[in-house]
Amino acid sequence: MTTGPATRQIYWDIDLHWLIYIFMLLPLVLLGYGMWRRYRMWRQGGPDQRFGDWWERTKTVIWESGLQRRVLRDLFPGVTHAFIFWGMLALLGGTIVVGVQADAGLRIYHGWFYLAVSLILDVFGALSLLAVVVAAFRRYILRPARLDNRPDDAYFLAILFVTLLSGFVLEGLRIAARPDPWGAYNPVGVAFSLPFSGRPEATLELWYAVLWWAHMAMAFTFMAYLPFSKALHIFVAPVNQFFRRLGPAGALSKLNFEDETIETFGVSEVTQFSWKQLMDSDACTRCGRCQDNCPAHLSGKALSPKSLVQGVKAQMEWTFTHRGVASQDDTGPKLIGDRVPEEALWACTTCRACEESCPVFVEHVEKTVGMRRHLVMMESQFPPELQLTFKNLETNFNPWALGWAGRADWRKELAGAAEPFEVPLLSEHPNPEYLLWVGCSGSFDARNRKVTLALAKLLHRAGVDFAILGTEEKCCGDSARRLGNEYLYQTLAQENVEVLKGYGVQRIVTACPHCLNTLKNEYPQFGGEFEVVHHSQLLESLVATGRLKVAPITPKVTYHDSCFLGRYNRVYEEPRRLVLAASGARPVEMPRHGASAFCCGGGGGRVWMEESQGQRINVMRAKEAMGTGTSRVVTACPFCLTMLEDGVKLSGAATPAKVCDVAELLQEAVQ
Amino acid sequence: MLNIAVCVKQVPDTEARLSVAADKTRIEEQGISFILNPYDEHAVEEAIRLKEKQGGTVTVFCLGPARAEEAIRTALAMGADKAVHLADAAFGGGDEGTAAAALEKAIAGKSFDLVLAGRLAIDDASGQVGARLAEKLGWPHVTAVTRLAVEGREAVANREIDGGSQVVAVTLPAVITAQRGLNQPRYPKIPDIMKARRKEVAKVTPADLGLSGGEVGGAGAKGKVAGLAPAPGRSAGKVIAGEPADAARKVVGLLRDEAKVI
Repeated sequence: MTTGPATRQIYWDIDLHWLIYIFMLLPLVLLGYGMWRRYRMWRQGGPDQRFGDWWERTKTVIWESGLQRRVLRDLFPGVTHAFIFWGMLALLGGTIVVGVQADAGLRIYHGWFYLAVSLILDVFGALSLLAVVVAAFRRYILRPARLDNRPDDAYFLAILFVTLLSGFVLEGLRIAARPDPWGAYNPVGVAFSLPFSGRPEATLELWYAVLWWAHMAMAFTFMAYLPFSKALHIFVAPVNQFFRRLGPAGALSKLNFEDETIETFGVSEVTQFSWKQLMDSDACTRCGRCQDNCPAHLSGKALSPKSLVQGVKAQMEWTFTHRGVASQDDTGPKLIGDRVPEEALWACTTCRACEESCPVFVEHVEKTVGMRRHLVMMESQFPPELQLTFKNLETNFNPWALGWAGRADWRKELAGAAEPFEVPLLSEHPNPEYLLWVGCSGSFDARNRKVTLALAKLLHRAGVDFAILGTEEKCCGDSARRLGNEYLYQTLAQENVEVLKGYGVQRIVTACPHCLNTLKNEYPQFGGEFEVVHHSQLLESLVATGRLKVAPITPKVTYHDSCFLGRYNRVYEEPRRLVLAASGARPVEMPRHGASAFCCGGGGGRVWMEESQGQRINVMRAKEAMGTGTSRVVTACPFCLTMLEDGVKLSGAATPAKVCDVAELLQEAVQ
Repeated sequence: MLNIAVCVKQVPDTEARLSVAADKTRIEEQGISFILNPYDEHAVEEAIRLKEKQGGTVTVFCLGPARAEEAIRTALAMGADKAVHLADAAFGGGDEGTAAAALEKAIAGKSFDLVLAGRLAIDDASGQVGARLAEKLGWPHVTAVTRLAVEGREAVANREIDGGSQVVAVTLPAVITAQRGLNQPRYPKIPDIMKARRKEVAKVTPADLGLSGGEVGGAGAKGKVAGLAPAPGRSAGKVIAGEPADAARKVVGLLRDEAKVI
């Protein structure tokens, strides 16, 4: 029995163990080559400004890789993954410590440090091994729908399993042969030693030697296999998180129409993506969280965000291996059509639920819109009903076939109000406290005009000095942009920015989250820098500061988060506080709310399109809302209001819920 | 190879809020959007499809003020090759006769095989220019066509008639006017919109066409708009309540006695 400081013998009777450093060279070279090859695949893409804010980027990696924040949001697979990850990370660290001790001559692996490391490795290794078994159980026995199984998935789990298991068996063999006085710090190792106890030492030694080399071979195989498999994400996921989009979550990139040498717009070949968009596809592990949160997928449409990203990946690889010949080869697979079905592209509501749920920060929406841009602008190929929408936007600056001269007509209904008042035009009343950006729905849609009226009355009552643009306001262009008609979008955006700047507008309030997102996050691309708030934010501050006096009147309600208000602009709290003020209680939450709210089905221009495939998204959401047992569904977006009102009607509910905007709810409660 | 001329007109948007100008003979043009006449859009589309199938050229002819160039560019973006714009102020204020006469001078003798035009322009809805142009050219014409097939020197056109359709075969050159349903006009691709900006739009004057000032526009017109009046405002709809059977009976009664349509 040794009486020295706690430690263990390393390379127990393994002759020529130094050979591992020679044998390691080949897998290292393959690892390096594999990574270099991926890097070159990404570099097929164009430029993308993803630099700067290094600390912000580093924090993302610490939270999302180190602490597995988004991974853990999905509890069962999240915990399983976290244990595999933390376990493998610990074991990698332990292996380095052993290497340093044995071969770099640093005597560090003894005493309390040895015991602590031993215990940590033992526990984390065991959890990791257990988690691998659980992961396999989930994948092959429970078989959740979001997983598609490929041989690669099995190899990956098998390599992890065999490597971890052989490590523990090795420890068990060592302890069985030479009882370890510090066994308490290697509980799992001791457990693994039990089957071998009492065997002749020579036998154990032989087994140990054979298994030790097998364990090494397995570890090296893993290294070499890594860049050619989904294990690639071990490296690419943190890098992808690091280079994530900072700033507004949903601002789409601007295309250059001024440069006449540019003749193609949008994406029909992977080389038209940016390097980051291509790297996204390598970070993807096909975990399926995106698909589980996608309204299009869940309602039975052709789109799966996962398949879309995998389609991009497959095409990226094909383009890389066929570089030089690909351009002449017209028979090769096409990105749009073969890899990503056209109908999948049109099914997207751009709700960003996929992006929000993706642990590795894949950006699906910009890719989708990029391909839509190609279809619309280069091929003139899109669902036929959209042609009318585009033409209406061109001629009358609203999506309906309604004359633009009627944009301010909603004001006529103010004359019939109990306390009539005038809403001035900006041309008559320059420099108000706020410009009220009414938006197309608020101006033309009968239902949403009521919201505009409620909002105008509230602002008037609170003494807010505001004016509107009237017929000088044009559609913000959100639908056009997200439908891929960037050219039309830019025409509208430039004209609006010019008018707004002409009046020196500084502060804008709007009831439409789509207008909000466009004016606030996308107009800066055209030199339009304005302070834009959502009406829920302004109304909330008016209530909070006592400018609006409210007496709660309404029974309990539920609140539906608009994607463009919530996920796009992180406004979750103010509408809820308005609900609290108006109804005396916070909203009864639906199962899917806040950042994981389910779309109404109207975003991304879907509101202008037929919905013939699968279930209707708005009906699904209306049922979910009515499932809270409340009789009132509160929205904060004109599209949500329209979609959910229709959804409630179509749901066939015996006692249909009333759908209203948060401003209307407040209007009822205001004193 | 088909050389096709397409006659187009720029008209106020269908949703524009029209008002009569002070002189009571024109509409107020301030504050309204103008578009390519929808029927002409079908004519342009048909011409481009024929060109794509058989080769040839598509030339757009447009009589109208400077603003009409926007409608011409729309046609060019759809795929027309070039355009002739009768933009001179002297062409203004004319009638269907002066329009057809000017267009005839512009089109005749340029070896066109086919002239396509809309069945009517939605602004004055007279629907005469196509037929008058054919008359002046001395070519056969078929109006309000919903299907067109051109093979060799023969065009076979389907046209809508009351309660059915008629198939007319004519020998080229001929004038064909388009009815809704002939095709679905395309939405121009962006590169085509950009190319359209650089396409040639020839501006011609009466003199270029060999016409004197007295033969065109208001000076040459045999008819004049004496007055314009807005349509009476639509009265509010009626909601008929009650049991479906009673309500239906009431509706039938009203349709017979009040609206006098049945």
